[in-house]
Amino acid sequence: MSGVGTLPHPPASLSRVRHAEGRQVRKRILVYLGLLPFVIVAMFPVIWMAVTAFKQDADLVNPRTSPFWFGVAPTLHHFAYLFQNTQYGYWVSNTVVIAVCVSLITLAVGIPAGYALARVGLPGAENMGIAIFLGYLIPSILLFIPLSRIIGMLHLIDTKWALVLVYPTFTIPFCTWLLSGFFKTVPREIEEAAQVDGCGRLAAMVRTIIPVSWAGILTTVIFAFTLTMQDFLYALVFVSVGDQKPVPLGVATDLIRGDVYFWGSLMAGALLVGVPVAILYSLFLDQFISGITSAAVK
Amino acid sequence: MANVEVAVRGRISVRRGHFTRDRLTFGYSLLAPAVIYMALMVGVPFFFSLYLSLSNATVGNQVARFVGFQNFGAVFQDPTVRQALRNTVVFTVIAGICKGVLGGMLGFLLTQDVPGRRLIRSLVVLPWTLPVVITALAWKWAFDPQFSTINWAARHLHLMSGWPNWLGEPGLAMAAIIAVNVWRGFPFGAIVLMAGLSAVPVELFDAAKVDGANFLQRWRSVIVPMIAPILFVGLLFDTVFTLSDLSIVYLMTMGGPMNSTEILPTRAFEIGIQAGALGRGAAISLILFPLLLPVVYFLLRTLRRRETL
Repeated sequence: MSGVGTLPHPPASLSRVRHAEGRQVRKRILVYLGLLPFVIVAMFPVIWMAVTAFKQDADLVNPRTSPFWFGVAPTLHHFAYLFQNTQYGYWVSNTVVIAVCVSLITLAVGIPAGYALARVGLPGAENMGIAIFLGYLIPSILLFIPLSRIIGMLHLIDTKWALVLVYPTFTIPFCTWLLSGFFKTVPREIEEAAQVDGCGRLAAMVRTIIPVSWAGILTTVIFAFTLTMQDFLYALVFVSVGDQKPVPLGVATDLIRGDVYFWGSLMAGALLVGVPVAILYSLFLDQFISGITSAAVK
Repeated sequence: MANVEVAVRGRISVRRGHFTRDRLTFGYSLLAPAVIYMALMVGVPFFFSLYLSLSNATVGNQVARFVGFQNFGAVFQDPTVRQALRNTVVFTVIAGICKGVLGGMLGFLLTQDVPGRRLIRSLVVLPWTLPVVITALAWKWAFDPQFSTINWAARHLHLMSGWPNWLGEPGLAMAAIIAVNVWRGFPFGAIVLMAGLSAVPVELFDAAKVDGANFLQRWRSVIVPMIAPILFVGLLFDTVFTLSDLSIVYLMTMGGPMNSTEILPTRAFEIGIQAGALGRGAAISLILFPLLLPVVYFLLRTLRRRETL
């Protein structure tokens, strides 16, 4: 800005460009160097889980081979064991059934609530939104003992339906807020146009929901799915019958016999569900971030 | 002019008045399912828990008798519970500080515009996205007394000569538990920071730049005040989850060795479910409530002010 009055000589400007490029490259290298330890620390257990899942048992306990690579040929034995000798198939189907039911309940309850919080402008809506959200902040650890009594009274102990009933308590608050953030980004004109067209409130609401439906619904389903996968306590307390367990509980309880851990199968079973969940999650990370911030900014 | 305005306003307010009633019914009926679900599945159990903690309910016994504060008295007499309370506080505070620092650094690096940023980001958030049970088990084996990968790697890199039994020694076990919690939680801190930074309008940055603010000044006067509330919310969230997380300790050490990693959630589980003393177990988990209360209070206050998630 100091050079406004004078015309810079061409060579000088060229060197300035080079200089800027050099700075850019240096900055990138610094950023990569800063990120490297984080990537290593984050990835190390995951890579090692993957290697474990494909290792032969003798190779696993051989202190001379690297835990990060194969001493003898990799094997699919641990995966075969899961499906042949454990109830892994049931666990996967339970997990899917639970996730689908929880998603449906969350959407059925969360879409109207999110819309009401974002758009209807109710007096006291803010407080009700906070009351719903409060449910998310009362952790399972305060509730599992009384809930075990309640689940018992409902005769749902040792069934996956106990978890279908309980998991929405953490997906509903989370997804209601996420959805209300999405709804706030839809221009009001769409709704007003619908009302001018003589549509009822319900139709106007549907018109607001449609533009965000895919992003909102998919994000809700992904989070319903991942949040249910994160639970351990409720599953541990309510379900002890093998064929009713979801994957995380089944892996953590049935692949450990006394002091013997079936490490290969444990990691195989864990990765088979963990990796798809992690990939979906990172694909939707942008939605997640914009969901948080759109609720924050508007 | 004034008359026209009054007339127009009058008509609008009449129309609003007309709208209001069915708007209210409409709005509340949309909210009702969510509120009722949460009230039945969270509110009712919470008060039921208060009731249980004042009774001598056990798993086998259907009729519970009111015993006043007897359970709380007994619980505070129990040295294991007192140790669990201490451990819970130490665990939450140390892990929270580490997650804040590491997550903040990572979040800042991830907002820098370098090629491959998205790929790096999805790799770095893996600890947070993988189910906690799975990673806790993976770490249990990483700390295995015989086949510890960590010891193997540290020895081959000549960082360490011994072969520590991580989960078998009190101090080391606590450090291991905290490390796993931090490993799992730091990406969340980064995500929250990224969300905070992306909420800062670009114009504000540019304006500050044009005004000649250097990096530190921009950071202090533009970025920090804008993102501090979001970071604060993130920290509070994380505290709620860390205070109440049982799975890492349960799967890795079961509270051992010699109760050195026992935390309130695991103790409540042992007494309330494994030993079947519902009343006493409820009392132990309710000790967490006064710890949670200030956190939840600040969180809700921030939410109300900023409507942040």
